[in-house]
Amino acid sequence: MSGGVDSSVAAALLVRQGYDVVGATMKLFCHGDEVPDRPCCSLDSVNDARRICEQLGIPHYVLNLESAFGHDVVRDFVDEYARGRTPIPCVRCNTFTKFRDLVRKADAIDAQWIATGHYARMVDGALHRGLDPAKDQSYFLWGIDRRVLSRMLLPVGAQTKAQTRAVAHELGLELIAEKRESQDICFVPDGDHTRIIARQLGEDAPALSRGPIVRRDGTVVGEHDGFARYTVGQRRGLPGGFAEAMFVVEIEPESRTVVIGPREELLGRGVVAREVNWLVDAPALGTELSVQIRHRSRPAAGVLVRRDGDEVELALDEPVSAISPGQSMVLYDGDRVLGGGVIERGRRALPVRAA
Amino acid sequence: MPEPVYLDHAATTPVREEVLAAMLPFFGPRFGNPSSVHRWGREARTALDEARERVGRCLGASADEVVFTSCGTEADNMALIGVWRARRGEGRRAAVSTPIEHKAVLGALHEIGKEGGEERLLSVDTTGKVIPASVEALVREDVAVCSVMWVNNEIGTMQDVPALAARAKELGVVFHSDAVQAFGKVDIDARSTPFDMLSISGHKIGAPKGIGALFIRRGTPMEALMFGGSQDRGRRPGTENVAMAVGLACAAELTVAEREEEVRRLGALRDRLEASLLARIPDAVIHGRGASRAPHVTNISIPGTESESMLIALDLRGIACSAGSACQSGSINPSHVLEAIGVSVDVAKSALRLSLGALSTDASVDRVIEVLPMLVEKARRLAPV
Repeated sequence: MSGGVDSSVAAALLVRQGYDVVGATMKLFCHGDEVPDRPCCSLDSVNDARRICEQLGIPHYVLNLESAFGHDVVRDFVDEYARGRTPIPCVRCNTFTKFRDLVRKADAIDAQWIATGHYARMVDGALHRGLDPAKDQSYFLWGIDRRVLSRMLLPVGAQTKAQTRAVAHELGLELIAEKRESQDICFVPDGDHTRIIARQLGEDAPALSRGPIVRRDGTVVGEHDGFARYTVGQRRGLPGGFAEAMFVVEIEPESRTVVIGPREELLGRGVVAREVNWLVDAPALGTELSVQIRHRSRPAAGVLVRRDGDEVELALDEPVSAISPGQSMVLYDGDRVLGGGVIERGRRALPVRAA
Repeated sequence: MPEPVYLDHAATTPVREEVLAAMLPFFGPRFGNPSSVHRWGREARTALDEARERVGRCLGASADEVVFTSCGTEADNMALIGVWRARRGEGRRAAVSTPIEHKAVLGALHEIGKEGGEERLLSVDTTGKVIPASVEALVREDVAVCSVMWVNNEIGTMQDVPALAARAKELGVVFHSDAVQAFGKVDIDARSTPFDMLSISGHKIGAPKGIGALFIRRGTPMEALMFGGSQDRGRRPGTENVAMAVGLACAAELTVAEREEEVRRLGALRDRLEASLLARIPDAVIHGRGASRAPHVTNISIPGTESESMLIALDLRGIACSAGSACQSGSINPSHVLEAIGVSVDVAKSALRLSLGALSTDASVDRVIEVLPMLVEKARRLAPV
């Protein structure tokens, strides 16, 4: 329970449905340099979660998962940026912190179910998109251990955010009913991820050091002050003076190079993903799937063309823009989440299925 | 669910009925300000002066040697920082304490460091006892104040305060002891033990939260930390909390009167609790064992378990205890006390503190002996977190 409206209402709904509910707030990083009014993970949020639980008549505990979170999520976040990629820490937090470490805590107290305020749905033991397309968070949940699915409860996933707020009012949870939503990454309070990179790797880390901005053909067109400030598809912060709009199309960490190009250089017809996790029996090669390569992007139709261990390759029916290494590729069958992986790279040419 | 079991008396205790009854008039008809000249003021002033005398008597001190504070933490701050500031001009720039103190003392010591003083920490052995050689090495004539807690709040270890205080006295060092956990457990008498200052706290002995007291031996140099009116000889300005001072006096008297019997009773419960747990969990480690310990604290590490999960599982079964030091958010951090006595991080992470007191009975001990080993067995079957 983050102290926000979604997890509070999730807990309240379960209490109303007759579950024996125990509230838990995960303490994931040091509160020392927090910003006081942050919507989640701050001291105030923990206090809000505790007060909601008191109101619901259920126990509440703060779980210290700082060390595991630091290793599994924060360290990986920094390392990924250092490799020129754009990570999604929320995915790893779900995979390792919420639906692994927290599940172990649940085991320790004989809690059969694990519930969160995610906007996604469990339908017959399978993970589905949330009903509200504007809030759907299934994109962040592909990495969960499949065996945990049968223990998951997602009580707000069939509601819109407005409905969740209405339920909060209806249940008298005025403390949090109109709380604003968290937007940033919880451990990057001011939205500047380079600060945490600097803290862990030093101000002079290569990812934060000056490097060239080049075109595909190698022509140097400018300088940047750290490739960790860039992500594939980004337009902001690039030199101007070109006939058409320019975007980051690639980051080469070894030479600290940021490659830019016009929109068409962003288009890809294939995706290679690693650390693949399946929430269903792995589909056969040739299976047609719906592929989503970024939160809130429109899913594209594609075909599974290669599977090597935990690596897969997808061929896309139509070109897709800005396939960014480090982001997640999530595979759906309609609303059902089949699995996903971390994008290793996009391919400009259409991959062909191995014979 | 069976009767809840409260085993966290070192954290706080319920207000005793006699104490509540003694305080009530001062929230009602006897509401006066002790500084006022009229009859309401006189009534309040009399009650306050009596309370001061009564607390003094419980410590073997005179009324003018007792300052009421808002809590033990304030008393500790006043003792360390107040003395250090008063003596920094005398060439005594250092302040000495131990690494197993309550954060109230460690925080005050750190503040002295920030104000230009020198922080020194005595060494302790694996039971938490201060090592005499380190006293010889660190308590010297350049020390303004030395503070050693009488009974440790996490492991119950008792220090040889008479010897430490005597040594400090020889060197002209002001000696303070945080006796928040010791009061009611050990014999405290300012007439026979040469400590200069001593802190106590109301809510550990059946008075409410929000009242404490500092004994300051006559002639001890000390600057006030707050500025304002002339209350308490200017040592602690601010309108006095009459009701709670009366409550503290009442609780202190009851605690002293019951001390010997209660020490015997709690010691027997504690010994049975420890023996039964060790019989059922042979690899458990009881911290501070072997040292002379106050009778009310057991700190036990159980390999293959983890404090946080155990506390939750116990609470869900109605048993309240604690572990490490809870941070502001309520999450548990490994204990600095266990670290200081050389306990490895892994072992410290499995520590539970059970502290006995007024609410503890044979039945509470039986319940723990029934539930805890069962939870341990279960925790050990699950994958380690």
